[in-house]
Amino acid sequence: MDRNYHVFSNGRLERHEDTLRLATEDGEKKHIPIENAEAVYLHGQIDFNTRLLSFLNDNGIAAHVFGWNDYYSGSVMPERGQTSGRTVVSQVRAYDDPAHRRDLAAAFVRGSIHNMRANVAYYDGRSADLDATLERLDTVADSVAEADDVEELMGVEATARKAYYGTFDSVLRDEFELGTREYNPPPNEVNSLLSFGNALVYANCVSAIRATALDPAVSYLHEPGERRYSLSLDLADLFKPLLTDRVLFRLVNRRQITTDDFETELGECLLTERGRQTFSKEFEETLERTVEHPELNRKVSYQYLLRLEAYKLKKHLLAGEAYEPFRRWW
Amino acid sequence: MSESIDPVDRLLATARGDAAADPFRVTGVMMQYYHACERELWFASRQLEIDRENPAVVRGTRVDETAYGGRESKQLGMIAIDLLEDGRVVEVKPSSKLVEPARMQLAYYLWYLDRVAGVQRDGVLAHPRERERETVELTDDLAERVEDAIRGIHDLVTEESPPPAEEKPFCEACAYHDFCWC
Repeated sequence: MDRNYHVFSNGRLERHEDTLRLATEDGEKKHIPIENAEAVYLHGQIDFNTRLLSFLNDNGIAAHVFGWNDYYSGSVMPERGQTSGRTVVSQVRAYDDPAHRRDLAAAFVRGSIHNMRANVAYYDGRSADLDATLERLDTVADSVAEADDVEELMGVEATARKAYYGTFDSVLRDEFELGTREYNPPPNEVNSLLSFGNALVYANCVSAIRATALDPAVSYLHEPGERRYSLSLDLADLFKPLLTDRVLFRLVNRRQITTDDFETELGECLLTERGRQTFSKEFEETLERTVEHPELNRKVSYQYLLRLEAYKLKKHLLAGEAYEPFRRWW
Repeated sequence: MSESIDPVDRLLATARGDAAADPFRVTGVMMQYYHACERELWFASRQLEIDRENPAVVRGTRVDETAYGGRESKQLGMIAIDLLEDGRVVEVKPSSKLVEPARMQLAYYLWYLDRVAGVQRDGVLAHPRERERETVELTDDLAERVEDAIRGIHDLVTEESPPPAEEKPFCEACAYHDFCWC
C-alpha cells in the first residue's frame, strides 16, 4: 500500500517535471516521489495551482488539508475511479431502514468497545490495575444488544469512551493528564494529541472510503451531514484505539513527546511543528505495521485494514453478507 | 415475466434486438467467470470492486496489449472476439491455468457466431506464454454445454446474494480476492 506524506512547513507545492516538489519559504526544495504516494497531508500554509491538482488527480493522490490549529479542514480527492449509483442507493436504503441502520450502528459501537478494551487489557497490570474498567467495558458492551435505536447507541458509545478515557491518566506518565476529553479548544497536552491523532485517522478513513464507490456522507452511527464526511466518523471510531491512542501512549511514555512540544495560548494547548512531526512520523510507522490476516492469509498493513473495512461495508450493503466490524484480533 | 422464457431464447432475442424491454446479455467474460468462480461472476454482474492495482490484473492487461501487437478485438453484439486468424476465432489467455473457463468462453463465441450471425467457425485457444495452441470445434455436445451455462448464468446473476466464498487454487490471483474474503 502507498504512503502518506506530511508537509509541515509553509511554502509552495508544485508539479516539477513528473514529480512533486515542495519549495519551502527558506528556499529548500524537497521532492515527494509520486509513484508511491497515497495522499499528501498539508499542515502548513501551502500555495499550489491547478496544474498541481490535475497532476495529483492523474496519479490518484488525495490532498488532505489541515487548517490553522491543525483541525481537518477538507480534502481534494482524485476523481473517482468508479462511481456506482447502485452502491449509493443501497447505502441510502440501509440508512432509511431503522432496523438496518440500528444494526450497522450497533456493529460500529461493538467494534469500538472491543478495540478500546484491547488497549485497556494491554495496559492492565503493566502500569496500572485496570480490572474495574475492563469489567465496566464488558457491561457496557452487553448493553449494545439492548439499545433500540441509534440515539441509545450513541449513549452507549459515549459511556464506554468515558470509562476508557478514565484509564489514560493511569497509563500515561505523570506530567501528562487527560482529565476529561475536551475539544475545541483542547485545554491540555493529551487532549491536543487526541485531537491531532483522531484527525489523522479521520482523513485516512476518507481516503479508504473513496477507494470504493461508497458515499462518505451517508453514515449510520453518526447522523449524515452532521459533518462533511460522517461515514468517516463511523469508521474512524473503530480505529482510534489502534492508531491514535497507542501512538500517543508510546510517544508520551518513551518521552519522545514532552511538554516542550506544546504551546498554550488563551487556554488552547497545541502541538508545535516539531511535536506534530514526531507524532505523524510514529503514526505513519504504525500505519505501515503489518499483521497476519486470518482470512486473506497474508500480512496486511494497519492502513490496509481501513480499506478492508470500507470493502466489508460495501460488500454487506450490496451482497447482503453480514458486516462484522474490525476488532483487533492480535 | 422473464421467468417463463428460456434464458437462451431471451439472449438470442436480445442479440436480434427483439428484447429491448427485457434484455439478457452474456459476455465472453461472464461465461469465463461462470466456469472459474460463480462468486466472481456475481460480483462482476453488480460492478463490484475490482482491484486495478492487483498484479494479476495488471499482468493480464499487459499480455492482452502486447502478445499480438497492434491487434484489436472485434465487437460483435454482446461478444468481443480477440482475433480472427485464417478464418478462425482465437482466444488469447495469459496462462493455461484456467483452461476450461477459457475453452468455454471460446465455445460461447463459436456458438454465438453460429446462432446469431449464422457463421460457422473453428476456434483456437492460444497461450502466448506457453506457445501452445489448441483447436476447439463447436460440436452438438459443446453447444449444449454452452446453453446450459447460459441458463446457469441467468439463475446466478438474478440471485439476491452471491454464493459463499470457496477456496480455489487461483483465488490468490483474483482481482476480487480481498473484497471476497475480507
